[in-house]
Amino acid sequence: MFGRMIKGILTRQWKKMLMIGLTIALGASLATAMLSVMLDVGDKINQELKAYGANIIVSPQEASVIEDLYDVEGGDKATKAYLREDELSKVKTIFWAFNIVDYSPFISTSVKLDDGSEVKLTGSWFNHHLELATGETLDSGIRNMRSWWDIEDGDWIDEQGSGAEGECMVGTELAKKLGISVGDSLHVTGNASAADLTVKGIFDAGGDEDEYIFTTLDTAQAIGGLDGKVDTIEVSALTTPDNELSEKAAKDPGSLTIKQYETWYCTAYASAICYQLTEVITDSTAAPVRQVASSEGAILDKTELLMGLIAVLSMVGSALGICNLVTASVMDRSREIGLMKAIGAQNSSIILQVITEILITAAIGGAAGFAAGIGFAQIIGQTVFGSSIALRTMVIPIVIVAVLAITLIGCIPAIRQLLKLSPTEVLHE
Amino acid sequence: MSLLEINNVSKIYGELHALDKVSLKVEKGEWVAIMGPSGSGKSTLMNIIGCMDRPSEGEVLMDGIDIAKMNQKELTLIRRDKIGLVFQQFHLVNYLTAVENVMLSQYYHSIPDEKEALEALDRVGLAGRARHLPSQLSGGEQQRVCVARALINYPEIILADEPTGNLDEANEKIIMDLFHNLHNEGTTLIVVTHDPEVAQTAQRTLFLRDGKLVRETVNENFTGEIKYEDWTENK
Repeated sequence: MFGRMIKGILTRQWKKMLMIGLTIALGASLATAMLSVMLDVGDKINQELKAYGANIIVSPQEASVIEDLYDVEGGDKATKAYLREDELSKVKTIFWAFNIVDYSPFISTSVKLDDGSEVKLTGSWFNHHLELATGETLDSGIRNMRSWWDIEDGDWIDEQGSGAEGECMVGTELAKKLGISVGDSLHVTGNASAADLTVKGIFDAGGDEDEYIFTTLDTAQAIGGLDGKVDTIEVSALTTPDNELSEKAAKDPGSLTIKQYETWYCTAYASAICYQLTEVITDSTAAPVRQVASSEGAILDKTELLMGLIAVLSMVGSALGICNLVTASVMDRSREIGLMKAIGAQNSSIILQVITEILITAAIGGAAGFAAGIGFAQIIGQTVFGSSIALRTMVIPIVIVAVLAITLIGCIPAIRQLLKLSPTEVLHE
Repeated sequence: MSLLEINNVSKIYGELHALDKVSLKVEKGEWVAIMGPSGSGKSTLMNIIGCMDRPSEGEVLMDGIDIAKMNQKELTLIRRDKIGLVFQQFHLVNYLTAVENVMLSQYYHSIPDEKEALEALDRVGLAGRARHLPSQLSGGEQQRVCVARALINYPEIILADEPTGNLDEANEKIIMDLFHNLHNEGTTLIVVTHDPEVAQTAQRTLFLRDGKLVRETVNENFTGEIKYEDWTENK
């Protein structure tokens, strides 16, 4: 009989339940969309923020000391300290490896051109393919981390294609000075060897780099006689904005208590990531590029907060809507409920019936809303980020629990009305 | 021991005495009518007899048990087990068919039995309309479903509030014939009405005015037969 009653109300009075279903669907769709965007926004924002380049720079410890003491950049001297190329893969093994979204090593050396002029040749990764021990793959390099470069002619060096070792990219100022264009050959002589590099592209970086030649890491090392050596590593990492704890730790991690240390170490502060990088790269020091690091973290946090707030507010709005609609529905059915009480129904039986009706409606509305929410998320993804939003599995249980909770909370005022309802008040009207 | 015994029952709302020290007895198998003008306390008395309300004062003994002090849950159980209600406005659940409306009473009482519910509808002449929704039934048919629902659990008392108030003459006769049959089968009937003709069909009529029981008449000529010829002329 219970099933017949539920079937009766849902099939014969579906119009009354439709509004409740639509309200739940709306809430669920907004929550699904916002949660999906919120959980995926890190990656999306990160893609956007890559345009601002690295936010952490790892350099050799000794070079850092010289720079700190004399406020000068270390020259291309025999005494200069280097990082080890064979340790580059360790960058993606630290505790916050997942937050490191891109990184690239740099090695610089002076080379002489045919006209006798001396220019700076920088070797780096362009789109270097990494297969990490974790099974993760990453195409890392300055192609992502120098996304503001304007390629005026030609193209980026493609490390995954053939012949990348003999190619270079030339800054626009140097190209003008030398009168070279894409496809020309540039003869360079370094400390160890000479090479003919084909100009693959001419870029406008809007700075000092416009006077440099960029080539692959291996090529620059070979020319400069710097095999296995790296000057610096630029790291693009997703970080949490600094606070008092992170600032204290950045000055001296030893000053932290064990509990503070654990909190700091297990939070993606730029200083914690820097610290962990120095743990895996021998004789290195890592420093955040403050403005970029804090801006990235702050933007990400604010965006996530905004999305989260919209998700919560949409569910609260939905709960209020359900409150009103279910209460109105109970009042509208007061005679029916009064009659049920008059012929022997206990309050518990009626509450069970009302909640079952609403929960079934919520399940249907919630499922429809979830499907619509995935669609909304894709619209947001395409409109704002120009790419699709990945559906995280955890959104499903969150939305189910949220729909269940708001539906039950939304029923509370109606149940209170229902308990107060006396058959004598409604049956003699 | 009387089936129902009411002693000095009052229902007071502030200054208003909706019922004022009313006492009455109803024996098992009796057909009693309660009459009175609007505001006389008929509905209040019906609510108290029907266990839908509690008196402010006095005692209400049903099968010797005082129900006046019972809580709402206990009253619901008494109402479910001992009383069948028939309303002037029918009060059927509009999304359930006729047979489902009858089964609803069984569901809250014990176990729904569709066959038994169909038999109850057959008793009131509605076997062919069992699968119809209330909106597809006439007023008289809806009231017959209401009677079938009231008698499905074999209650000790059928309590009817203006059962013919919303019916035309033909349907009025059908309902009164149903009551007549129920009475002949030994069911106790208490009918609240303002219609003298309906009241005259009962064995005994109690008159209420301003919350007080002012008169009681016994139908000396009660045979159990309803003389509709006289009834129609009087109307």
